[in-house]
Amino acid sequence: MTDATVASIDTSPVPALRLASPQAPWKDLLRKLRKSVKGMTGAALVSLAILAALTAPLLAPYSPTKQTVRAKFADPIFKDSESDYILGGDNLGRDILSRILYGSRASLSIGFLVTVAAATVGSIAGGFAGYRGGLVDTLVMRLVDLQLSIPFILLAMIVLAIMGPGFWSVFVALAVALWVNYARLVRGETLRIRDMEYVVAARTIGVDERRILIKHILPNVIHSILVLATLDMAFVIIFEASLTFLGLGIQPPTPTWGFMLSEGRNYLQESPWMSVFPGLAIILTVVGINLLGDWLRDTFDPSLRNR
Amino acid sequence: MGPFLIRRIGHMLGVLTAVLIIVSVLLRLIPGDPVDVIMAGNPGITEEDKQALRDQLGLNDPIVVQVGNYAGGLVRGDFGDSLRFRTPVRPLIMEKLPPTIELTIFAMLIAVMIAVPLGLITALQRDRPADYIGSVLAVLGISIPSFLLGILLILFFAVEWRIFPASGYGGSFSSALWHFVTSGDLGPLKKSFRYLILPGVTLGVAVSAYNARIIRSTMVEVLRQDYVRYAQAKGMPNRVVYIGHAFRNALIPVVTILGLQIGYLLSGAFVIENVFAWPGIGRFSVQALGWRDYPVVQGVVMITAVIFLSINLLVDLLYVAIDPRIRYR
Repeated sequence: MTDATVASIDTSPVPALRLASPQAPWKDLLRKLRKSVKGMTGAALVSLAILAALTAPLLAPYSPTKQTVRAKFADPIFKDSESDYILGGDNLGRDILSRILYGSRASLSIGFLVTVAAATVGSIAGGFAGYRGGLVDTLVMRLVDLQLSIPFILLAMIVLAIMGPGFWSVFVALAVALWVNYARLVRGETLRIRDMEYVVAARTIGVDERRILIKHILPNVIHSILVLATLDMAFVIIFEASLTFLGLGIQPPTPTWGFMLSEGRNYLQESPWMSVFPGLAIILTVVGINLLGDWLRDTFDPSLRNR
Repeated sequence: MGPFLIRRIGHMLGVLTAVLIIVSVLLRLIPGDPVDVIMAGNPGITEEDKQALRDQLGLNDPIVVQVGNYAGGLVRGDFGDSLRFRTPVRPLIMEKLPPTIELTIFAMLIAVMIAVPLGLITALQRDRPADYIGSVLAVLGISIPSFLLGILLILFFAVEWRIFPASGYGGSFSSALWHFVTSGDLGPLKKSFRYLILPGVTLGVAVSAYNARIIRSTMVEVLRQDYVRYAQAKGMPNRVVYIGHAFRNALIPVVTILGLQIGYLLSGAFVIENVFAWPGIGRFSVQALGWRDYPVVQGVVMITAVIFLSINLLVDLLYVAIDPRIRYR
């Protein structure tokens, strides 16, 4: 192709091309989001959680770890209008609202980090396995098979036994558990796409493997990855809270919803608020993420609407 | 069928070997000395004593020998000794296994009892209020962590209304059932059931929400099929069409994921047992992690893996019974 032909194409502006500018998909998505009750509810709940995590130091009325005698088992404001503690105080005299606001940080950061790590590693492994085939494929898929043969909790126990409890143990256990989903997804799509004419054409003119995977195959799976990642994030937040609740996850003094519940459990009679409020925080966040994920799936793949 | 079974059992043994190697190699890489764990609380111990104990436990052998010895023991049913109790691991775990199995089976029943009607109603009432309410319930059921649901159930049913005990174990359900059958005495069965109900429901709810969604979506799809319309057209009563024709096919994907759900339920049981002080392997292994009693952890992992893989094999065989289109070669 000569420079002249390229120039002649460029000089005639085609309005339709502007619609396909990189910003358009996002605008389109936002427009669809505004029309969906499910999507908007999910987005609102998720935004609320993110806002809490980002602005916890500004919003929190007290330090999440400071113990005040007066705050011990303090009633929430709707039970005692004189109370200085909106959602009450816990067994050690810490403000429950502040702890919930700060607690969102642990939940969201682990949810985000685990999903990003699992999606990245899984997609790369699945992409190469599908594209190269042969030994790489066999190795990756045997690993996936092995992993799927072991229930998650056993994996978590092995990791926790080795690394001891803590943020990074939870991260490793969950990331190791979840990467297989992405590997399977991306491998399947890659197998389907790699022999399509446009990919074969790209290969023929010498486009390298990495570029084909990123430019030609990734755009075809990115929507499915996004849906899976959103729904996985809900799972991660639930499991982090569960492990932390058992004392195997993120350790105090870091304020976490899981640990608040594990403390609250011992005072159900005296102070149900200690359990109810962090519980609500978890439910609302996870419901929000699940709704958003469901909506994304409906939008990206209408054939799955009823799933 | 024969070759399939052989291949499938071969795969199972392969996975178990891999799990064994991974677990035993990794657990031996843990920083810290088991001997220190055993000797904790014995101040008068000398370095020679420790060394003798290490020799006795085989901790000075090369890691390959250690893993080999452990594997050899496994074949003979020997899982090693608990560091904390100084007794063989296997009876310790076997004693905790029945409560976990009973809890899991009960949860599975609860899950089916909730999921099937919920899935059917929402599918048949599609896009009507019942469908919306059902869908909201399903999203809630999926989004609530099981331990939180457990705490809320304790809060209402045990603390506020005092209907069920907050936690604990009312004895083995199956032996209580046997006792009832042989002697007609309902007492132990009632007691066992009262303790079983809250943890069972807690564990069952999340799975049921998930299953209800799957049953609904498959039902919706199946109801559009020609054979359903044909059955209706020839005047078959709706009840027969829905249950006999549509529902049977809607059940296939549920059975498909049944095996995976056993894994999910087992994972859930580990958490729930701790909420309700249920004396099963879940609670035991969380305690063992706390005691750094690794032979126990390793034993639990191996036994759970065997159970999980066997159930998955059974589920694979069950497909054939439910879906005549599937034939294994």
